[in-house]
Amino acid sequence: MTGLEARFGPITRTHIVRYAGASGDLNPIHHDEIYARQAGQPSVFAHGMLSAGLAAAWVGERFGMEALQRFSVRFAARVWPGDRLELRGELEEAEEGLSELRFSMTRQDGEVVVTGSATLRLET
Amino acid sequence: MMSLEGKVGPEWSFPIDESKVREFARAVFQDDPTRVPPTFPAYGTYAYERPGLLAEAGLDWTRVLHGEQEYEYLGPMQVGQRLVCRSRITADYEKEGRRGGTMRFIVQETEMHDAETGELVIRARSTMIETGRTL
Repeated sequence: MTGLEARFGPITRTHIVRYAGASGDLNPIHHDEIYARQAGQPSVFAHGMLSAGLAAAWVGERFGMEALQRFSVRFAARVWPGDRLELRGELEEAEEGLSELRFSMTRQDGEVVVTGSATLRLET
Repeated sequence: MMSLEGKVGPEWSFPIDESKVREFARAVFQDDPTRVPPTFPAYGTYAYERPGLLAEAGLDWTRVLHGEQEYEYLGPMQVGQRLVCRSRITADYEKEGRRGGTMRFIVQETEMHDAETGELVIRARSTMIETGRTL
């Protein structure tokens, strides 16, 4: 088992808006403060797919995009402007050439925001 | 609630072009702006699927959460490729939640094929949750 770590952020409103434009996900709850408050939220918050995108790109660059066979995430809590994220992962021993990476991302207050896993085909 | 389970949407396609890949890579803090980010297919859905399959679900979007997302990488994604996509709803059901009241779960599966070779490149699965109250 190999332990892995990465840090991201603080995630700013600019990062959120940049992701909205890049992905085409223009749900106003992620960039329109007035809309977000009317929807009962304290402020805008990041797209879950921004956190997922950070994790997936990091995994892809760490192990090679070709290695990535599958990537999945479960969204557990929101990421607010100003949050810093820490990814911690465990890479399991390969079985039949495929290795499972299990990871979670937590905010600076310790709350888990994303849990996920990736299947990797690693050169031995 | 009218379940959408089994519903298949119309076909659409989107290009994997260099400038969009660069923009998306930057948005997900990817160092190499020339490689297609693993979650790039999200762009192909949000920006190109019109209307989305979920448009008919009658959802209150202020109470909709993205619950889960999965991608299977079955072939290489490359700049210059065009992906032809089709989605279907594979699950649509309600469940009582502890905090969220009656929650509706909708799972949408999208297959993306290379427009030239017909090869299956991506299978994406997304779970959206409409909560009974704002969480």
